[in-house]
Amino acid sequence: MSDSGDRTGADGAILRAAGVSKAFGGLVAVDDVTFSIPPRSIVSIIGPNGAGKTTFFNMLTGLYKPTRGQVVFDGKDITGRRPDIITSLGVARTFQNIRLFETMSAIENVLVGQHSRMKATIFGSILRTPRVRREEREVRERARETLAYAGLSEPALEEMAANLSYGDQRRVEIARALASDPTLLLLDEPTAGMNPQESARLTAFMEQLRDERGITILLIEHDMRVVMGVSERITVLDHGEKIAEGPPEDVRKEPRVVEAYLGKQD
Amino acid sequence: MSAIDPLRDRRETLAGLARSRQASRAFTGLVIFGAIVLPFFYPSGSGFIDDSTTALAYVVMALGLNIVVGFAGLLDLGYVAFFAIGAFTTGWFASAFYADANGGAGIHLFVTGPAAELPGIHMNFLLVLVAAVVLTAVAGALIGLPTLRLRGDYIAIVTLAFGEIVGRVAINGDEIKLAQDYPLTRGRQGITPVDKIDLPFVDQFTSLNLRPWYWTALGLALLTLFVNFRLRDSRLGRAWIAVREDEVAAASMGVPLVRTKLLAYATGAAFGGMSGAFLGSYLNTVNADQFEFSFSIFILAMIILGGLGSIWGVVVGAIALSFINNRLIPDVFNTWPAKVGLDFDLTELSFGIFGFLLVIMMVLRPAGLLPERRRRLELAEGVGAGEEDLYEARA
Amino acid sequence: MRGFLGQYGLIVVLLVLPVVYGIQDLQQDGDLSRLGNNLMDGLSNGAIWALVALGYTLVYGIIELINFAHGDVFMIGSFVAFGFYGTIGLSTATGTVGLLGGLAVTLLVAMLACASLNVMIERVAYRPLRNAPKLAPLITAVGFSFILQNVGLLWLGGSQRGVPDLIESQKELVNLGGVSISQGDALALAVTAPLVLLLTGFVATSRIGKAMRATAQDPEAARLMGINVDTTISLTFLLGGLLAGAAGLIYALYQTTIWFFQGFQAGLIAFTAAVMGGIGNLRGAVLGGLIIGCIQQISDNRIGAEWTPAIVFGYLVLIMVFRPQGLLGEETREAG
Repeated sequence: MSDSGDRTGADGAILRAAGVSKAFGGLVAVDDVTFSIPPRSIVSIIGPNGAGKTTFFNMLTGLYKPTRGQVVFDGKDITGRRPDIITSLGVARTFQNIRLFETMSAIENVLVGQHSRMKATIFGSILRTPRVRREEREVRERARETLAYAGLSEPALEEMAANLSYGDQRRVEIARALASDPTLLLLDEPTAGMNPQESARLTAFMEQLRDERGITILLIEHDMRVVMGVSERITVLDHGEKIAEGPPEDVRKEPRVVEAYLGKQD
Repeated sequence: MSAIDPLRDRRETLAGLARSRQASRAFTGLVIFGAIVLPFFYPSGSGFIDDSTTALAYVVMALGLNIVVGFAGLLDLGYVAFFAIGAFTTGWFASAFYADANGGAGIHLFVTGPAAELPGIHMNFLLVLVAAVVLTAVAGALIGLPTLRLRGDYIAIVTLAFGEIVGRVAINGDEIKLAQDYPLTRGRQGITPVDKIDLPFVDQFTSLNLRPWYWTALGLALLTLFVNFRLRDSRLGRAWIAVREDEVAAASMGVPLVRTKLLAYATGAAFGGMSGAFLGSYLNTVNADQFEFSFSIFILAMIILGGLGSIWGVVVGAIALSFINNRLIPDVFNTWPAKVGLDFDLTELSFGIFGFLLVIMMVLRPAGLLPERRRRLELAEGVGAGEEDLYEARA
Repeated sequence: MRGFLGQYGLIVVLLVLPVVYGIQDLQQDGDLSRLGNNLMDGLSNGAIWALVALGYTLVYGIIELINFAHGDVFMIGSFVAFGFYGTIGLSTATGTVGLLGGLAVTLLVAMLACASLNVMIERVAYRPLRNAPKLAPLITAVGFSFILQNVGLLWLGGSQRGVPDLIESQKELVNLGGVSISQGDALALAVTAPLVLLLTGFVATSRIGKAMRATAQDPEAARLMGINVDTTISLTFLLGGLLAGAAGLIYALYQTTIWFFQGFQAGLIAFTAAVMGGIGNLRGAVLGGLIIGCIQQISDNRIGAEWTPAIVFGYLVLIMVFRPQGLLGEETREAG
């Protein structure tokens, strides 16, 4: 399972994590995981609770610094770099428990998502130069489009995020992530709390993102139907280690995977 | 606290906004016009104009602190430091303090009037303002630097500590010599007298006619308001609010935490310096007794009273507290006890009463007088109240 | 790199003052007795700060709130102590037995007064705001701080007030190699040490102590396990108040001056001590208190008392920058 850690991603992988580990004091949350994502694909990471999936995510997005290992995105080494820089390079994410800016409206949330794509400086903003004014108009337009694309209805746009329905909040979160114009989108349990129809809609949306916008998607999911249905490849973590990887049909039959979820079948 | 009525917020959607925007613009224009002509209704040396001028200077400070605490959510308890630095800028560059400068002849930059003949360093007030803004902005960034990785209440303590350090340096500054005969401050005795404000094309101010002082303060206040409104609805303003709400999410969305926070500190500080520079001249003295912790709390109370983050609320809060402090307490409190037959000086209680008001305010109406709609939500439901994150946000 | 700097950097920075002046002493006087005396006074003062710091750290550990008014509670403790032993007629003329007995009672009175005050403040200022953003209880704390200061102001006036030197605090009790240990020093250490031991023992072994630690770790889980979180928090404030009261009495006897403003300064100093030792860590608070006391004394004696606050706060800033978890605290746990 070890890779040579090819920096330039010559095999075309958009993201490559090599031997990545994370330890908190004595507790090892992620243990020597090597993992790569083919571009324009939808891949999933699954595993029982506490397997280290979100910790791994957090290392990819810069919230945690790996104790060991390397993360290369689009040919650039992003190991341990700041989250806002990683975002500006093209990686965006949503959170497991929705982390919208609750006292900002849906539009404002998405506007913040565009922060790294905007150029307005403090002095430009104070003076409201023509360039800044134009930029504000453009980003607002883009925000509206992105929110509509994510499925949010018109009246909800100016609504304060805290007042939105759960489904709408999820949509705003995705729109906010899309706002930074990412090439890689990380979704942390996006279908949590959704009924089957909503999950199916989200699945279709993910495929739409991949096909229409060429965005690569990495998913953490617990809903097996979604995972099996949408993933081109599944990686399974358990106790911080990678225990299986491959197309859905193969992974589902892996004994180690079954054991991890259901306990040893003796 | 009542639950948030969703319809109430829906009213703030598009149509409602357009209508109310026009109405509020008209109202604002009226208020500003009123403020400009106000001094004509009072004698030029009246106490009312005096209090109003001070109130306007405090408005500038409160708006500055509002950027740090209200927008960016950084608990700054040491704002007095910027008042001090601004005031000392005036003390250094617009008085006879450094009487040995230039071999006793003094350094004069664009000054007219009597100050042009005096020894010491004398600069035109606009230059002093610029210097004050620059110095305090830098100081603000420096003070903010150690707080970047800290949590809310720690930020409070560190900024408080800095406020105290600056205060101490102000007191002991007469011992610090930048060069022979160039002490940093004059401790408790203070740097006095200070040049009256000298602006181009206008006669130098005097201490008898308060109207020009008032209009200057008003000008500064309007400038501050203008900058505040522009920033609030800008990329940076949104970044500040995002950082306040949830800095981990903000960073993950591409907001650079260090830069954003430092800009908040620097900008907020700059306004404190601006106001401090004005007050240094207006009060005709810059002495260490002016720079105590209670002043930081005084300004903080203004923005809490008015409504954290709400620009107009802060203006109202600043004016209200300023007048309560300068008029209500001395005038009223001094006369009440006598009327009730007590031989008691209520001003001795002003500290305690102020403290009592703080407690009451937070327990009963923490959202303030004119709450920003966000803050109402935050304090009513504990919503978005600076998410206590599990991750150590990587600045 | 920062971690390394943090761990040893802080210790180095703390040692700078004593080492520099120690060397200077050796050169000038030929022995370390002056430094030794600085440190002795420092430990006694530090003991007082340790008691107050424990109050801060206990409260912060359990509800993650800086009890801004705590320093002023300490000040009230001094005032109550002074008022009480004046009322019961203790004076420099009282015989030793009477004095000790009277002071013991005063100690109890001061401790209880401060304990009740602290509990009341929690009830009125903090509990209603438990779910509010952190700014809210901080402001009410400051409000209470002002109220208490005003009380002190009205009680004994605005300037420093000398109090009877009941225990002849400056009188030398014993001299060890040039270092003079005064009766005041002995008092400070003799009262503080048992209190600290009692407290740490209590927190470590008693049921209430366990409840406190559980609540500090995870209030929700503690509640689910049947712990009455509200009562536990009140008890924490009570303990903090008891210590502040004791500190207040020692301060009055040792320093022989009290004034309404002593709480604000003490509060910041004690908080610095708590942070230096590692906020939430009891042993750390004591260690921090003693260290700060020593730094203060060295600064007072060598640099000038007017600069000491700036130096202490400078240390606070340094700690916050390089090692916010303090000497004995752990690196902030990143949860996952």
